[in-house]
Amino acid sequence: MSVSNLLENWSEFRHLHPVDDVPHDPYKWAMSIDLDACSGCNACSVACYAENNLPVVGKEKYAHGQAMHWMRIERYWDEDGREFPDQGAQFLPMMCQQCEAAPCETVCPVGATNHTPDGINSQIYNRCIGSRYCSANCPFKVRYFNWYDYPTTDNVWPAEMNQQLNPDVTVRGKGVMEKCTFCIQRVTVAKNNAKNEGRIVHDGDVQTACQQACPTSAISFGNLVDKESKVYKQWKAQQVELDKDAQAKDKNEEGRSELRGYRIFEELRPYPSVMYLERVRESAV
Amino acid sequence: MHRFLRLSVLLMGLFAAASTFAVDAQTPALTTEDDLGPAIEQPIEFPHVRHAKDMQINCMYCHTYARRSAVAGIPPLQKCIGCHQYIESVKDKPRIKTLFEYWDAKKAIPWKKVHDLPDFVRFNHERHIKRFYFQQNRPVQEVCGYCHGDVKEMTVARRSKLLSMGWCVSCHQKEHPVSAEGGTPVGNQVPWYSMKKPPADASGKVIKAKGPNDCSVCHK
Repeated sequence: MSVSNLLENWSEFRHLHPVDDVPHDPYKWAMSIDLDACSGCNACSVACYAENNLPVVGKEKYAHGQAMHWMRIERYWDEDGREFPDQGAQFLPMMCQQCEAAPCETVCPVGATNHTPDGINSQIYNRCIGSRYCSANCPFKVRYFNWYDYPTTDNVWPAEMNQQLNPDVTVRGKGVMEKCTFCIQRVTVAKNNAKNEGRIVHDGDVQTACQQACPTSAISFGNLVDKESKVYKQWKAQQVELDKDAQAKDKNEEGRSELRGYRIFEELRPYPSVMYLERVRESAV
Repeated sequence: MHRFLRLSVLLMGLFAAASTFAVDAQTPALTTEDDLGPAIEQPIEFPHVRHAKDMQINCMYCHTYARRSAVAGIPPLQKCIGCHQYIESVKDKPRIKTLFEYWDAKKAIPWKKVHDLPDFVRFNHERHIKRFYFQQNRPVQEVCGYCHGDVKEMTVARRSKLLSMGWCVSCHQKEHPVSAEGGTPVGNQVPWYSMKKPPADASGKVIKAKGPNDCSVCHK
């Protein structure tokens, strides 16, 4: 893409928000995570490992920052003067936010990551050449790179353990970037079943592995276009809108808003598809 | 002149080094665009021609999963026996004898996969059969033949279509036998959503593919 082409056809290129041009129909997959319900148990992360054929890299590689947990629990300590054992922690499950204007998509030199009409930021493993540019540009740091050929590495999937690999998900090789896909293999199955019955996917037809495993039902996943879906209702109740870069909660000057819904790094305008519900702090009750 | 000579010597050296490296490296099996793969030897030389052409048996009588799941599956031995135990006329033929040997030994026939797609490809038989066979009422051998070729003329099935990505896209993106309304926008697949507006026709309507045309539909 030459600079002159970019300048001449500027109006065709980068626009404020993609939804303006092609509204999502009939699907826009989105999530909401209730941080007040999250107990930081890591069940979602484990479920993700099982569902998406993630390699367990071991202590040493983990220390090098080479962990492959698509779903990670970020931990924040309460700063209220208490010392460690008594000190409270807050948890935040962090995975690919499936941004509408994803910073990773625009920089991929081969277009291995791109947006689907369903609003999922897809990752095409066999297209990926491993430039890691996407990961560098991701503000959430939720992209994970295969530094090693894990299928042939000892003790990642020792003999017979490879029998439990999910056949609906590629086992990624060395030099490939990967990330949360909103369990696109499950979405595909749900869409297929719905199509057989001549309808669109209802709320509850598909749940992601993390959602399924969450003991407190903190995670909900669904179709944001469907006005009957739980996710739509939650976004609506929190007045969080997909194509805005600041939500009602942020605009409240008092800082004591009743609203809890927010999205991470909204000011960077990636328009994430994951809404978090702020934890209700003890001090606020 | 001197410098020119020196450069050419250097280049030749580099070339020689590169070529020796290339020879040393294990070269993978040659797969070209029009490669149909090796002919596959099956444990029993199954005559598709006898079943599908002479006897006019519907493909989906044996490949029964094709219409209701992503994979077509291989018929269980029971299916073969179900018919063949009543067909006395061929019971003494060598192939049928082998068939019954497997049956008596209670062993599945180790059929080998002929149309084997890479692991990163998601192909759904059900969707294709539903569309062309059940909705558009096309003859079953034509529908299966889009991808599997003229199996009714074969004994052991042999790949006769490329099954490459470009070949798949030739149906999904172009006019070929598909007549579906609207997939995703044609061409420029990669940047269409995030960077560049999709190509539109004269009236400003986005040009859409004839079938699903999104990377993640087929790639997993």
